[in-house]
Order: sequence, then C-alpha cells, then structure tokens
Amino acid sequence: MKRLPLALLFATLLPAQKFYPDDPLLVEPPPLDAGKPARRKLSDWYDLFWHILATPGEKQPRAGPPVRARNVNTLGDPMDGAWYVRRHYWRRMTIEELQRGAGGTAPPEFPWTVVAAKGEGITPGFTILDAKKRRFFVKLDPKSNPEMMTAAEVISDRFFHALGYHVADEYIVEFHPADLVIQDRLTFINQHGQKRPFTRRNLTELLVKAPRLHDGRYRAVASLALEGQPLGPFRWFGTRADDPNDTAPHEHRRELRGAHVFFAWLGHDDSRAINTLDTLVTREGRTFIRHHLLDFGSTLGSGSDRPNSPRSGAYLFTWRDSAIQMATLGLAVPYWAKARYPRYPSIGLFESKVFDPEKWVPEYPNPAMLNRLPDDEFWAAKQVMHFTDEEIRAIVDTGRLSDPEARDYLVRCLIERRDKIGRAYFRKVLPIDRFELRSGELVFEDLAQKHGLPSPAPYEIVWREFDNQLMQAGAVLGRGAKAPAGGGPYIEAEISAPARPSQKVYVWVRGGQVVGIERTW
Amino acid sequence: MMNALAARVPTAALVALVLVPACAHAQEPTREALIRKERQERAARLKPEQTSRWEQRILLINEKKIPQRLSYGYNGLRAKLGGMITQGGFGIGPEYFREDLLDGRLETQASWQISTRGYQRGLLRLGSRELLGGRIEAEMLSMHHYYPKIQYYGPGPDSKKTGRSNFLLDDNSVDWSLGAAPVKGLLLGASTGLLWINVGPGREKKFASADSLYSPEEMPGIDRQTDFHRYGAFFRVNYLDNPAGPRAGGFYLFQFNRYDDRRSLGYGFNLYEAELRQYVPFYNQRRVIALRARTHLTDTHAGETVPFYLQPWLGGPDDLRGFRPFRFRDRNSLLLNAEYRWEVFAGMDMALFADAGKVFPRRGQLNFSRLEKSYGFGLRFNVRNRTFLRMDFGFSREGFQAWFRFNDVFPMRPLGTSSTQPYQ
Repeated sequence: MKRLPLALLFATLLPAQKFYPDDPLLVEPPPLDAGKPARRKLSDWYDLFWHILATPGEKQPRAGPPVRARNVNTLGDPMDGAWYVRRHYWRRMTIEELQRGAGGTAPPEFPWTVVAAKGEGITPGFTILDAKKRRFFVKLDPKSNPEMMTAAEVISDRFFHALGYHVADEYIVEFHPADLVIQDRLTFINQHGQKRPFTRRNLTELLVKAPRLHDGRYRAVASLALEGQPLGPFRWFGTRADDPNDTAPHEHRRELRGAHVFFAWLGHDDSRAINTLDTLVTREGRTFIRHHLLDFGSTLGSGSDRPNSPRSGAYLFTWRDSAIQMATLGLAVPYWAKARYPRYPSIGLFESKVFDPEKWVPEYPNPAMLNRLPDDEFWAAKQVMHFTDEEIRAIVDTGRLSDPEARDYLVRCLIERRDKIGRAYFRKVLPIDRFELRSGELVFEDLAQKHGLPSPAPYEIVWREFDNQLMQAGAVLGRGAKAPAGGGPYIEAEISAPARPSQKVYVWVRGGQVVGIERTW
Repeated sequence: MMNALAARVPTAALVALVLVPACAHAQEPTREALIRKERQERAARLKPEQTSRWEQRILLINEKKIPQRLSYGYNGLRAKLGGMITQGGFGIGPEYFREDLLDGRLETQASWQISTRGYQRGLLRLGSRELLGGRIEAEMLSMHHYYPKIQYYGPGPDSKKTGRSNFLLDDNSVDWSLGAAPVKGLLLGASTGLLWINVGPGREKKFASADSLYSPEEMPGIDRQTDFHRYGAFFRVNYLDNPAGPRAGGFYLFQFNRYDDRRSLGYGFNLYEAELRQYVPFYNQRRVIALRARTHLTDTHAGETVPFYLQPWLGGPDDLRGFRPFRFRDRNSLLLNAEYRWEVFAGMDMALFADAGKVFPRRGQLNFSRLEKSYGFGLRFNVRNRTFLRMDFGFSREGFQAWFRFNDVFPMRPLGTSSTQPYQ
C-alpha cells in the first residue's frame, strides 16, 4: 500500500497517450463557471519597470528541450474559445467580413449623451450612450495628425479580429458638437486631480485638442463597450488565480507568443497589459472570462497623440544597447534610426524598408513574445501571409484615409512587411501546412511556393508505425506521398527536405484523417 | 534506505505504466475530459487575483492623482520648490497658481520663496491665455529678489578666479508686456517696467565683500543706488518642434531695451540682445546638433555708464559650463554653444558640448578672438520629450564644474524688459 502514492504520482506525471479519440479538438470544452472573479487594475508604470528589470514569467530553458506552446490542440492550433477563434486562415473571410471586424454594422446613433470624460490623458476622449443606450468610448485624433490615430485604431482592430483575437466593435464616426448632450450632474476629475462638474466649456476644451473637419464636425473612433463585466487587463505571463479555465501560463499560450509576429507586422509596439481587457461573460448559463486585445491607437505609424516614435521596434531600454551607445558616443547607429519616413500626417511614422521582423520588439520585454519558438512564429506568419494584397487594401480602407497617396503608402508598407515576415519565418521551419489525406495520399500546401518565397522543396515522406500508448514511432512502412495500408490505428509521416536537414514535420494519421502535426527545427 | 527506495521505484513505475493508460482510458477517455479535469483541479484551489503591494501603491498614487494634487495644491495654493538662481540654494515657499480665472482666460501666479542659503524670491504674475485665439499675449510681472551672496570676480575678461568676492542684491520690479503673433511662430511685442535696486556688502563670510576689493570705477553703481524705468521691443521667431525639449527647428530672438536712470546718476544705457538657436537633427532626431549664438551689447549716452549689476555675465550651467557661475562680467558679452546629443535609451540622451564666449568693454570687440572655452559632456533625462533633469560636466582652464539642473540647456526665457535683468 505504501507504493500506491508513488504510483499515483507517476500516473499524474506521465501522459497517458499522445492522441485521444476526440483529437484534434477544435473548440475548447465548455468552460467551468468562473463564479464572481473580482475586478482588478494593473499599473502600467509597475508593468513597465517590472518587465524591464526582471521580465516575469517562466522563460525558455537555456539548455535542453524548449517549452512548446501549451494551449494548442494536436494540430498545433489554439482551440476556439475565450482567448482565440480560428478565423481568416482557416476559412477565408470575405472582404465584407474582414471590413466588418467584430461587428461593423451598428455604429452609434445620435443623439449622444456624454456620461464620462477624461480630464487628462494623451488622447482626448469621452464615453457616450447613444440613442439606443449603448455605451461607446469615443477618442479623437491629435490636432497635429488628423485621421492618424482613428485610422490606426480601426484598421488594426480589423486585422486583429481577422487574426483571431477578441476585439471591440469599432467605428470611425463624425459628429458635430451639437450632437452631444451632457448628462445631468456629470462630473470629471481634472488634470489637477480635482472633481469638477463637466460643462459644455470642458467639452469644448476637450474638442479643441482635436482637428476639426471643414464642416465643423469632428472625426473620432467609437468603440462599443465589450460584452460582459470588465475585470481588468490580463498579464502576458502566469494565469489568473481566480479563473478555473485559465490553465496554461500566458507566456506559453501560442496566440500570445505568436502575437509577436502580428504586433511586428502592424507596428503595435505598445504591448502593455493595460492594452488588454478581461470581461466576465455569460453564455448558455455559464459565466466565464473572455480575454481581449484593446486600444490599437498606437499601431501602424500612430503613437496616439503624436506620430509613433522612430524607436518603434526597439526596447525603450536595455543595458547592453545603452552601454553601446554610451561607449561609442552614438556612432553605433541602431538600424531603426536609419529608417526614412515620408510626410503623411495621417500615417505618422511607419515604413517597410528598414523593418526587420526578427529584430522588431515591442517597447519593453513581453514574456509571452520572448518565449516564442519557430513553430509559434510559423503559426503566426502563415496567417499574416494569408492576407492578399486586395484584402489588406480593403482593411486599410476601413481607416477612411482621405489622402489616397497616404492610403496607398500604408497598403504598400503592410504588403512589404507581410512579405518580410514570410521570408523570415518560413525559413525557420518547413513551410508546409494544410495537411490532409486525399485518395490515400498525404497532400499539403507549400506556403513558401504559394507566396513566391524560397522553398526547400522537394520534400521526402517516410511512413512509420506509431504506438499511441508508448508515443513512439516504429518500423518504416513506406516512403512517398501514398499512405501505407495497415500499420495499426495510427501511422506517422516524417516529412523532411534535403535542403534543410534539421527541419522536419511530423504528421499523424488515424483512420484516414490527420490528427496531429508537430514541427522540429 | 536509498536501496530500499531504489528497489521500490521500478516496481512503482511498472505499476504506473500498467495502470496509467488503463486508468486514463477508464477515467479520461477523451481530450475534453482531460481538460475538464485539469480545470476542476484548478477550480478547487482558486484564490482571489491579487496585485503586489508595490503595484497597489503605485496604482493608488496614479488613480488618486497624488502628484497632480500635490503640484496643484489646494485651490491653487501649493508649495513651490526649487527655481532659485544658480548657487542660490534650494528654495521653498508657498505659491498660489490659477489658470482658470475669467473662464480660463487669465492665469495668475504668486509665490514667495526662501532658500537654504538665505536667498529670497517673490513673484506676482498675471497673464492672458487664448486672447484672440492665442494671437495676443499680455502679461504683468512683478518680482522681488533678495540675493545676499552673489559672486563677483571683478570686471572684464581678465578678471582672476582668485578675485572672488560677493555682494548683496535687493531689487523690486514690475513690468508689463504685450505681444502679437500675426502668424504662427512669429511674435512682435513691446514692454515697459520699473526697477528699484539696492546693492550692498555681500553676506558670504568665506569671501570678501566686493566693495572691499573693487573700487566704484571697477564696479559702477556699488556706491550709489538708483531706480530705472525700462522699456523696449522684441521680435521672436520660434519654430522649434517642442519648446520643452527641442530636437528640430530654430529660435531667433532680438530685443532692444532702454534703461533710464530715474535719479539721473548716470546709469542709463541701451541694451541690445540677439540670440540664435538652431537644432539640426539626423537619424530620425535620435542625433541632434544644437547650436546657439547669443550676444548682449550695451551703449550709453555721454556721461553714462552701465551699472555692474546689470552688466551681462558669463559662467555657469547655462553658458560657459567649465567656469564658475558669474565668472566674467562686462558691458558686452558673446556666447557660442555647440552640442552633439545622442539618444542612449528612450529616456536619456548624452551630449558632448563645447562653449566659447567672452565679455568685453567695447562693442567694437565683438569678434571671435580671445574667447574663453570650455568642453564637456552631459546627460539629459527626458519624459515625453521634456527634459526634466540635466547633468553637465564642464572643463576649462580653470578646472572642472558639475551641474545638476531641472531645465533644458538652452532654457526658454520670458521676453521683454523683465527678461533683461541678469539675476532672475
């Protein structure tokens, strides 16, 4: 009997088998009821210094096998659920769907009642209830850069939606001050920390900071309040201690690791926790926490209240770079400082020539992004590459940039940045995907070939027996695309390319269906 | 003991290997069940989501806007810290500041400070805001200074470091200025004011009082006090990208002011001031060459002279950084500064600088000969493109100086008659 606890310990440590009958699971199992988690706020200053000085979260080991993403199904994808939904790459969205984003069909209706206002902050804004009593957060462009922040916000919102994240339903709107009604007895905290009545004059002072259109109206972005009760931001590491469904440490979630590639593509260097939000949502009688990305005002060339910093894509601070700059008297010029930016006020500072996805980093270390592995990067890069030029143009159109040259420039930058991402990450693992067994043959797409990038083809396939319980491949059953008959319920295909001997893709087949994919490099 | 354990482990492992798949199949036949079990186990040990104490404190400070409240005070009443003249010590005192008077069109500031070195500084200011859409600027400024230990090294460019002495300056002034901005970046204006000055023996015991070392001929005005009526005009072009921490653009200022001696003691004079600044950015403004040239020239009518306490001076953190404050003083001055700045990280720039300048008795000596020179390096700490702390380390033939200042190296100054007073 003394041996039983030890046996049970082994039982919990050892995975029972590689595949289960319901693999691959495409949708997360129904969540457990989350109860009543408390709302909590995070400090962006604390976040900044903590991440710069200590970088929290579990890091990749310096030696030995790396920690792969933990929240994926056997195909290597996050399951549809509270964090992520497989969208554009898995089922090509129509142009209309891409442009609609998370909603896109119900902009706020006049009159608007101002129910909250910011007395300070880098971007002028306020909260309204529209004619249908829906709550929207309204933000305006900086005076120096008409259209910049609002366009960046909406365009990136559409991209991140298509890339699978939960985002807000956002609209570019135009309003006249006369369309605004101030709620009775509304107060606000002014820039000196004092509670004051919010008057029409305060509203005017707020609007004065924003550019005015020729007809006297203002352009703004209106974000519909997210469904559910706000609980505060999620961190890019660890788990929420009060969420039963938050089982994978965030720094090991594929969609958060892979977000590095998306953020690089869209110039989203502001990857702070406070640009995320958890909400408590009730669906089908279950209450659970859903996780959102928010506030894309500092993406593309925008820095919200001014053009983005030319430092975008570099850490605000590192000991090493600072020492180099001090020692060389600034003669060691960082690559990003050499970028050239055309003067498009509605774009800000955005470019594609100097952009290097492998050098790009957010403003300060992000634990999830730091943990990314080549398979995380490939997972993200294939989604970026999936956007056609036409789709990119269509999404950029949602920014309603009035200068066609600026719009074309932004589209061109995004296309060139996309292609750089493909070139960078398709070379780190075999760039093949969309595996299926067709007429007994294993077929797949060479994404590099498809997108006109250097491909390691031709590929070689070796079929082996696979013992699901021992999780071991056995005897060779055959070679080539044709799947061998027999060999047990599971067979394994090892795909390699002589051009890149260290890179392999393993595909497992059960009953004529692909049930597992794993990449090595 | 170890042997016993070792003997048991393989047996247990064997049991596990046999049992696990069977158990797993029996209890967790699906991936979904496995995930559900993991969640249930987690649900059994949930706890409230918490933030660290430090984070809570920082949040509290931020949410309650404590720095803003402290800096704004209670209904405009607050503590004013710092801002004293160089080597005046750390100043502290009450300040009343409002920018919401007359529906936000009037700004007022009143303060009184005393420093750790016994210096006193009082200020009363009324300024317009957004008059005619910001095209008109009007200001009334009244100041009081009680500076008991101002350094004085003797007149002219050949004064000696060893000639250090000190004197007391006690003055009151009131000035009115009106400026118009017909186009963006251009400001034209005029101002007038009154100045009452009292000078006397310095209170610094370590050094001799100036009046005991230097004669009234060397220090005109040390023996006879007077008052002034001053008036003048100014012209400014300012297209700096960010006045609080410029990286690009230019700033050109020309001022003429007349000081009339109200007691007819022969201390009236004309003061001409020109300042040119240019910022040349490269590598996306991460490297900047900042240049400044400034001159103060005076002339007098027959029988007049410029009192020593209104003569331009050089030396200190904002001009010749390798020399002591107020090191050189004469009727005219010329100053040239060049800085090469580069960004070390997002919140800090470094700088290499070279300063050159001289004071001289006659305007005809306005040239580049016999310039005093200093060199050095510095650190510039910025938040949101605003320099909040500057450290400069300057070297010259007279040694080494270290400066810690809470301003940009070429600080913005008020315009008009009040700005021409050397000791602010």
